[in-house]
This record gives sequence, structure tokens and C-alpha cells, in this order.
Amino acid sequence: MKDLFFKDGVIGDPMNRVDGRLKVTGGARYSAEYELPGLVHSALVGSTIAKGRITSIDTKAAERAPGVMAVITHVNSIKVPGFAASAHPSEPSTIGQPLRVFYDEKIYFNDQPVAIVVADTLERARYAAGLVKVQYAAEQHQTSFDANTSRAVLPTSAKRNPKSPLADYDRGQTNAFQTAPVKLEAEYVIPSEMHNPMELQAIVAHWEAADKLTVYDKVQAVKGTQKAFAKDWKIPEENVKVIATFVGGAFGNGLHNWPHETAAIIAAKMVGRPVKLMLTREQMFTMVGYRPHAWQRVGIGATPDGKLVGITHEATGQTSSYEEFTESTLQQTRMMYQSPNVTTRYRILPLDVSTPIWMRGPGEATGAFALESALDELSYLLNIDPIELRLRNYTDQDPEKNLPWSTKFLKECYQMGADRIGWNKRPAKPGTLRDGDWLVGYGMGVGTFGANRRPAKARARLLANGTVLLQSATTDIGPGTGTVMVQIAADALGLPPKAIVFELGNSTFPEAPSQGGSATVASVGSAVVAACAELKKKLLELGGPGFSGAKPEDVTINSRVQMRAYNSSLPLEIGLRTNASVKVSYSDVLQRNGGQEVEVVGEGRPGNERQKYSMYSFSVHFAEVKVHTMTGEVRVTKMVSCADAGTIVNHKTAGNQMIGGAVGGIGMALTEAAVIDHRFGRYVTKDFAEYHVPVQADAPAIEVAFVDKPDLLVDPMGTKGIGEIAIIGVAPAIANAVFNATGKRIRELPITPDKLI
Amino acid sequence: MNQFQYVRPTKQKAAIDAFGREADTQFIAGGTNLLDLMKRGVMNPTKLVDINRLPLDRIDRDKGTLLIGALALNSTVAEHPQVRQLHPLLGQALSAGASAQLRNMATVGGNMLQRTRCYYFYDTAMPCNKREPGSGCGALEGYNRMHAIFGFSDKCIAVHPSDMSVALVALDATVLVSGPKGDRRIPFGGLHRLPGDTPQRDTNLEPGELITAVSIPDNPFTKNVHYLKVRERASYAFALVSVAAALHIENNVIRDARLAMGGVAHKPWRLTEAEKSLIGKLATEATFRQAADVAMQGARAFKHNAYKLKMAPNSIIQALKQAAAVA
Amino acid sequence: MADQNPDQHPTGPKPGHNGARRTFLKQSTALTAFALTPGPVLKAAGSAWDEKVAAAIEQVPLRLDINGKKYKLSVEPRTTLLDLLREQLHLTGTKKGCDYGQCGACTVHVDGQRINSCLTLAVMQDGKKVTTIEGLAEGEKLHPIQEAFIKHDGFQCGYCTPGQIMSAVACIREGHANSEGEIREYMSGNICRCGAYPNIVAAIQEVKNGGQKV
Repeated sequence: MKDLFFKDGVIGDPMNRVDGRLKVTGGARYSAEYELPGLVHSALVGSTIAKGRITSIDTKAAERAPGVMAVITHVNSIKVPGFAASAHPSEPSTIGQPLRVFYDEKIYFNDQPVAIVVADTLERARYAAGLVKVQYAAEQHQTSFDANTSRAVLPTSAKRNPKSPLADYDRGQTNAFQTAPVKLEAEYVIPSEMHNPMELQAIVAHWEAADKLTVYDKVQAVKGTQKAFAKDWKIPEENVKVIATFVGGAFGNGLHNWPHETAAIIAAKMVGRPVKLMLTREQMFTMVGYRPHAWQRVGIGATPDGKLVGITHEATGQTSSYEEFTESTLQQTRMMYQSPNVTTRYRILPLDVSTPIWMRGPGEATGAFALESALDELSYLLNIDPIELRLRNYTDQDPEKNLPWSTKFLKECYQMGADRIGWNKRPAKPGTLRDGDWLVGYGMGVGTFGANRRPAKARARLLANGTVLLQSATTDIGPGTGTVMVQIAADALGLPPKAIVFELGNSTFPEAPSQGGSATVASVGSAVVAACAELKKKLLELGGPGFSGAKPEDVTINSRVQMRAYNSSLPLEIGLRTNASVKVSYSDVLQRNGGQEVEVVGEGRPGNERQKYSMYSFSVHFAEVKVHTMTGEVRVTKMVSCADAGTIVNHKTAGNQMIGGAVGGIGMALTEAAVIDHRFGRYVTKDFAEYHVPVQADAPAIEVAFVDKPDLLVDPMGTKGIGEIAIIGVAPAIANAVFNATGKRIRELPITPDKLI
Repeated sequence: MNQFQYVRPTKQKAAIDAFGREADTQFIAGGTNLLDLMKRGVMNPTKLVDINRLPLDRIDRDKGTLLIGALALNSTVAEHPQVRQLHPLLGQALSAGASAQLRNMATVGGNMLQRTRCYYFYDTAMPCNKREPGSGCGALEGYNRMHAIFGFSDKCIAVHPSDMSVALVALDATVLVSGPKGDRRIPFGGLHRLPGDTPQRDTNLEPGELITAVSIPDNPFTKNVHYLKVRERASYAFALVSVAAALHIENNVIRDARLAMGGVAHKPWRLTEAEKSLIGKLATEATFRQAADVAMQGARAFKHNAYKLKMAPNSIIQALKQAAAVA
Repeated sequence: MADQNPDQHPTGPKPGHNGARRTFLKQSTALTAFALTPGPVLKAAGSAWDEKVAAAIEQVPLRLDINGKKYKLSVEPRTTLLDLLREQLHLTGTKKGCDYGQCGACTVHVDGQRINSCLTLAVMQDGKKVTTIEGLAEGEKLHPIQEAFIKHDGFQCGYCTPGQIMSAVACIREGHANSEGEIREYMSGNICRCGAYPNIVAAIQEVKNGGQKV
């Protein structure tokens, strides 16, 4: 989308990442990599039962081990002041009571932190952690989803608010699909899946004074974390500083604050030193969230010519016994297709496990697996091409909210994807296309996610050297936030990207939401646009007589500098693009500003257009798979992912994000499952050898196509968000392709070779 | 990881002497499995004898055998011209294992001695007779998806994870061992043990015995060979089932055959009867199917690994087809 | 710290570097002085360490050439090369992603060969030449693979990137970058959870086909 703010702008350019050099040289610093004077190391001890209580902890051997400075358990831990209340004072992203670490003897899940050992070196901390001996009084735990389905309940938020998206939903007649001439009913299951970012969750906690805490923490919300810890410790928010300059992937597991963070903060307080804690890979499975195990049933019915009569979609997701985690599993079912009758039922099932958290394309990816698989099943019953079936039920407005779409270019996505994958090669009859020992199949699936936007602020300061420094308390877990913000600011100010510096990941910067829900560009980008406008306004005010009566948007910074030919040594001048003769040197402006560099804060917030329009991003994913006739192995041999995500600010990073979602979807579809042995209530697959995330050899050629049309109702740049739709719909596309190849419908993920042999 | 004494001898005898009589001494070569286990507290040796400076990494051909030093790296062996020429099956098996980095670290001796990847063995909070004799077998009634269908006992149903060893047992290799009581040679099939009542013992090596080399006799299996590895992702994963197939075919008639499986037993699983059933027959899919039937006799599955009863014979057929280049 | 390379700046206690017992005792005394430290914690810090355990702790001398710089160190034998790099030498470009050789984030070159630094003890590499991501560029001039990763966006979060790059350089040097399929197989030891795999292949192919010195 060129010319959004200025002719020949840089929005849309496949610009290299502004932090690329740091990342390829090892210079990017992640949470565990901050060197602080006196820093000490720590290791967690986890429970070996899933439910019950600690009867005794023997810490003597650990305390005697060389280098050990403290062994902290519920027996000797200082109590987090905020924990005293019956309800956790921080604002949890879930309803319930986040785990109060080292608070009492109760055990809620296996590998719950029961002690933290602090020592002068990592090796000593880890070794001594192994010396802590814990005795338990175990109680009968319930970790099996299947054995407890009757205990599923309506979430509290739905009980409180019948209009909640989690509440029971009936459009038209309940279960009307049953009356349709062509119908099917099927159950779909996904196992718990782990975010497993490459960076292990890590924190350096440092009490700079008795009431002043700094944490270098792997989080997706520096402001949210600041608020949570301020409330936990009953100290002013400004006394908590959260740094997350680089985040080594997160995919959602940095959207909640977890027990290990508080454990490290307690330890730091107790030993009076900065404490570093990095989880082990096994601990990444037990205490930092996951995509919950979910059961779904879809009933879908249509007329013989493929008009939907009704969809009934039920879903139950696992949660912990102490927090209610919910997600929007059924959203897509309510708004994607023109069905007069839609019934949705969402339940949660509390088990003796740790709390789940949103994992990329959160509930929607789970729900889309069932919905888009069921549509595919229906297409074979009807003998109608799956794309055609979807087109026959296309909606020109949101059937749930009865509002027009802000924009919707889904038909374009179908077309682009079908062309690129070679949809015409798809055999109408499953199991009929072969390539040697391999059966070949094609499948597609649709994804959608709300084009969310939240209030956000950004600071802009014009430095004397001509650089505009922007700051906002957002994070970048990998999409390239800093890079696209530079591009947005460059266009908003009419400056080359080189003249812009964007800083993030610091809670002292102006307020920004968590990096989640595909809302960062829309939210923070809008704040950047607002800050740039404010900056121009301020410059206009300070420009002197020649500027009076001019419009702020006509203010130029260093107008002599051509775009893309920035030279910071040139003297800085402020001018007007409408009148080249008007100019003032920045040193004069500085003088008028009391010698201070001109600095403003801009705020962007969504307006009432959100009440008038329904706003979603859309994606369609296509997969070509090969299934080995003898071994049952599945290889995805080609993928095409198409997206209507509004303006694409940077085709390089956005394309990469789509590719990454497709790879994540390959893992969801084919390899990933976190398995619990319910006798022990303990995970058995809990490292990269047993929990298989896709490797390089699993990733085929992945083609990405964007519609790239702006949605200016969502935000001033016209963006709609990419991160979630990149994965939503991928798993069903692959499952549908497997069916097309083999005639086998696998309704329980992952589709491992044993299920096809 | 516990502290340990560390010694790094440069002479073989010194290494064996350094082992001493302490039961908790371990030799360390690549370290790719031992350190992994030590980090998790599964193995806690109090003394490590680093053998990497011993001159045991040569690859030589002599008198009809290829002698591969125990410290030769997996990557080196996989790409060694004589291995590729004389024993391509071994090269294929090695290349199917682990990752390029791990193959640059792991040695031939260490690869044989790697321990099972059974989940219960790896988690010190779970029962495992191999790790802690008498604690029970977690897998027997538990999550046994990866586990054995042959040769297991009620004490242990774990499988040996090595790819290389599957090829070596098929190729009639011999393991050269040096120990406190002198040198000896162990036929490869006699190196690893079935679990029986002593699953804590993976091999028949005596304490302090050091593998110095593996020797592979010349054989006619230089062309029609295939190592098939079925796993849950396309690379960098342990086998669900693997098959080493080697055929000597003349005029479409199988003159000699070697067949072994991985991922199905506590040791690399040689299929001698199935081999016999191939000899003298035409290299056709029908022949291979019948060999697979023979191979599967006596197989028994548990709750989560019944798929192996189908995957194993299918993989045998597929590996033989690819070895014979039968479409 | 007398035997340390003068370029290494000691920050805080580093018992990993010399005189283990002496350092322990010194720290033990120092720790009791912390006013903030509440009662129960002092028990651990103040009590005498288990003599038997402490006696077993010996530091082992270690010489390494890391990125062209000579280090004369003294480490616990159990210290992995990865932890030595990250925690003691503050070369944090090499990443810990699993600590079990299952992800490749810790890939470095030892005597020119790529290995997982998490699965080798530092002492096992005595006398060897180690190259980490910090040693790949020549001053300000990036290595061609680093340039290609930037150009092709061969990463997102950047955490696996140093390992990917070290592995990619080795992949080309080994002669395992002759086709897309071969690159994919020989780069499978480096997991990228962000899923930038196709871009990594593109970066490697460009350098390989460009014929630059790698």
C-alpha cells in the first residue's frame, strides 16, 4: 500500500529488519543475558505429584552444597504481600487464582515449583536443586480429559454475562442441522500443544531498593507485567521496571505471568542479589501455559445444492483447577458462513494440571480444525468442491453481529490460493492420485481472527541530529514490530527509515498493550501515527511566524534530505511542503523550546466505527501432501497461504510471519502432542526429542499471497493483523489434504504415521 | 549435574586403569548421551574418564575387514570413502541418525552404547527398572508408543535407539574390546542384551571394558542396500521403526540377504529367519512380503504400539523393495 | 583471577575461575553480611559446606582459543562449553534452547566442525579452537551468511539465529548445500520455532550459489 501518507512511501517495502544486524551477530540481548553486578543463579524444584500437599521438605543437603546461598520453600519464603488476599491482586488474564508460589503446602499440578535454590553458579544451583527432598501426602488427581468429560462446566464469565462470546449461542433453531437433507456429525480432538519458543523462559530479578524492582523478563506485555508485580508487592507501578528488549519467541506464553517469575523475585528479595532463573525445557511444558487439550463435536447439514441449513459446534477445553482459561474456539463458526441456524456450546474442564494460555491463533485454530474439517467432510457428501461449497455459503455481512464487514477480500484469497497450489490437480475422488509409493492429496482450510485494536501511546522526540526517536512499551516476539513501526513513522513524517529509531520492550515507555491477538501494528502503529502528527503540530507551533496558519500535516523535517538518502550530518531544518521558502533551523526551534529537544506523546485508540462494522482478518491455506502407502508417513510438499490482512506494511516480515504460521500449523497437524501418563499425572513427552516440533526437513516450499488492500476503518494504516490467521486453518487444510490423498479422515491430531498405516 | 573427578588419559592402558573398580566411573567420548543423562540426574557418575585423546579414531582396511576405530566420529564414518564403497548400508544408517552437529560429536563406540529414549527412563520421578532396579517398569502399563514388540520382559519394554547398530548387526560386525582382563572380540549381535531380569544392563561389557574398534568383514552388500527409518517428522527424530536391508542379487535371484530392525527391541534386532527365507528367491514384492511375515513371528504389542505390528512388516517390505530397486 | 586472560573483566564472584575452596569461604563470609537476607536463608549461607562434597570439587585448568582470543581458564569439569561461554565469558550470542542437543541453538564450531556446545564439557575441548557467532564477522564486515540471513529474513525472534548461522556456514563448508533438499536435511539439527525455514534455505542457497568465500 503505497502513498498512504506520502507519495512513494516506504510502507509496503520489503525492508530488512532494523534489528537484523543485532540478531545475526549475537548482539541481541535476551532476558537471561543481562550482566548485573553480584548476579547469582537459581534453579527450581518441581513437585512430583499432581495433587495433594507437601508434608515435609528436607533442604539440609541442598543448603550444605557448595555455593548455595538460599533454599526457599513455602516454609521459609517471605510472603508476597499481594498473596495474602483471598483473590490474587494482579489482574489475571484468566478468572480464578493464579498460583501463589511458595505460599502454602498445596500442590495443584505435577512439577509445580516447591523450592528455588540460589547459588553462586548455575551448575551449583542446578545440582543443589536435585538434593532437595520433598515428602507429599498425595490425593487422587484427575488429569485425564477423557475420564472427566462429565465435569465440564460453563465458564464463569458466561454465567455472569449471557451475552459473553463464551455463552451458549443459538442463531435460529437449535441443532437445526439435524433437519437437513444432507448432514453429518463428527467429533474432533486436539491434544495439548506446547508453545515451545526456542528461548527458554527466563528472568533476571533485581531489587534495586527495598521497594524498587527491575526485571529482565521474557514477556509479551511489559506494562501488564509491571502492573501485576506492582500489585503483588504492593509498591507503586513506577517502582517496577520491566525490560524485554528481545523476546526469543513466545507465541502466547508470555501473555501471563507465571510462578517462576515470582519465584525469582522472591529469591532476589531474600538473598539481596539479582537472581537469574532460566527454566529447563521440561519446565516449559509444566509452568508457562499451553494450548489446551480440546474435544469438539460438529453437526453440519445442508441442502443437496450445498446451502447450509445449520451448524452445531460444541467445544470443551481443558483448564487448571485454580484458574479458568477460556478462548474463542467457536467464534469462526458463528460468523464465517451464511447459515440461518447456528448453535454453539463452549465448556471448560478443570483438571489437576497447570493453567493453559493462548497459543498462536488460540481457540480459533482449535475451532477451525473442527469446523473446516467438517465442511470438507460435507463437501464430499455433497460432491461439491470444497471451495465452491464455501462460496455458496459466503456472507456479505457478519451473520453474528448483523454488521457490514469493514473489509472482506476472502473470495480473492480463494482464487489466489487455488491458482497457486494447482487446485485443478486435486482428485475429486480420494486416494486416486499417486506418485510412486506416495498418495497425493490437496486440501484447504479457512482462518479468521478479529482485526483487533487497543489504545496505545508512543513518544516521539526529534533529536538534534535529525533522528526521530520513538518509544512505546510494546514488545517484539519476532514479527518485526520495530521494523514496521519505523516504516510507518517514516511515511508519517516523510523521512527516510534511517532517520527513525524505534525503541520498545521497556515499561518506562508510553503505555502499549501486550503483543497478542494480532493487534500490535493496528494499536501501536496508530499511536506512532498519532505521535508523528503531534510532533508536526508541536514543530508548527515552535516554527515561528512563517508557519502560522499552516496545517500540521504539511510540516516537513529536513525537507532537503531526499527520501532514502538520509545524512545525519546535515543541519536540521523544519519546513513546509506547501511553501519551500518557509524554513527554520532546528536549533532555533530548540531555543524556542527552552533548549529541550521537541518531544510529544501521541495516543491512538479505536473509535465508534467498531460498533458499526465487523472487523476481521481472513486467510485461506492450501496444502499439497504425500502419504506413504507403506509407512503412513505424511509429508507436506507444498503450501500456499493467502491472507486478507489489510495493508501489508512490510512484505518481507509479513510474508515470513505467514510462513511461520504455516510451519506451526504443520506441527499442529502432524507431529505435536504433549502426553500425560495419567497414573502419575505427569507429562511423558516433554522435550524436543519426544515432543516433535517441525524441523527444517518438514517445511516445504511455502508460497504467501496477500490481498494487500487497506482497511482504513480498523486503523490509519489500514492493517488488520497477521500473526493468528497465519496458523488458523492450516491444520484442517493438511488434514483435508490427507483425506484427499488417502480417503482416511483423521479427526484426532496429530496425524502421525500410526493413524494412517 | 553432580561433581565428578575428571581424567583425560592419552594411552589406552591408562584409560582402563583410570576406570578402576569404582562402579560409578564412566568413559566419556562424544558425551552426547551421557551428558544429557547426567543433566537430568539419570546417570550420576563420580568419575569421568575422557577417552577422546586416545588414538582410536582410525579407519583402516586390512585382510578383508574394515576396522573402524571406536572414536571415529559418526559423520566421518558416514562419509568415509571406504564405508560408502564397501558398506553403504552403514553410511545410510549413520546419516539417518541425529543431526549434523551430533554426528560431529558422537563416536562409533558411543553410538552403540547410547541408552534407551524411554520416557520413564529419562524422568527420575517415574518408575524404571533400568534406571532404578526394582522400581517397576513405567512403560509396561503406561505410554508405550515407542516401545518394543520383540524380546521384552515384564521388567522392561524399552528399545535401543541407535540407527548405526542396526546396520552393524546386519553386517555381521565384531566389536573389539579392551579391558582390565585383556582384549576380546564380541560379535555385534552379542554386544547388547535383552532386558530379562536385569534391564539395568544394556550390554555384555564388563566394568572397565573399553570398546576400541568395530570390524566389518567384506561382504557382497555394496549395491542393493537400504536403510529405512520411519519417524514422526522428516528428520532429527528417533525411529518408530527402522529397517536395514541388504541384498546380494544376481540375475534377479537373491543370493544372500541381511535384515535387521531398529525401534522394535531392547537391542538391534537381527532377522535371521527372514534372511534365510529370502535366499534363493526372486527379488519380488511377493518374496519380500513373505520375509516380512517370517520376521514378524513372535511379535507382540502393548496398548500404544500396536501400530508397529503393521508398520514393521510394511517397512521391511519397503526397505527390501528399495534395496532391490523393485518399483 | 591471576591466571586469567587480562582481557577478561571479572564482574562479581566467579568461583569458576580459581581457588575453589578459598572463594567459597570468602563468599560465605560475605553473604552473611547481607542485611536484607532474612533469617531462614542465613542458615544455608552460614552453615559449613559438606566437607566431602567440597573436597570433590576441583577446578581443572583449561586453555581455549575462542574467536581468535586465547583464554587460560580454570573451570569445574561439569561446566559445559555452552555454560562457560554464556555464564562465565559472557559470550551470550550462543543460545541455550534445550540443553540436551535437541535444538541446535547452541551450535558453535570447534576446530572448524559444528557441534552442540551444550553436550560437551568445556574441559573436553582443552586446547581447541572455538568459533562462536561473535567471531564470525570480520570486524564491521558481516559474514556473507549473516548478510544473506538479513536479506532473506532468515529469522523472526532471532533466538535460534546464531545457531542457524553457525550451522549454515558449516553446511556449506562440508559440501552439504548442493540442493534445497540436501540443505533442508543438513539444517534439520537447528529448530526454528518461528518457522523461518524456507528463508533460511534461501539465504544458504544464495551464498552457496554466489560462490563467496564461506
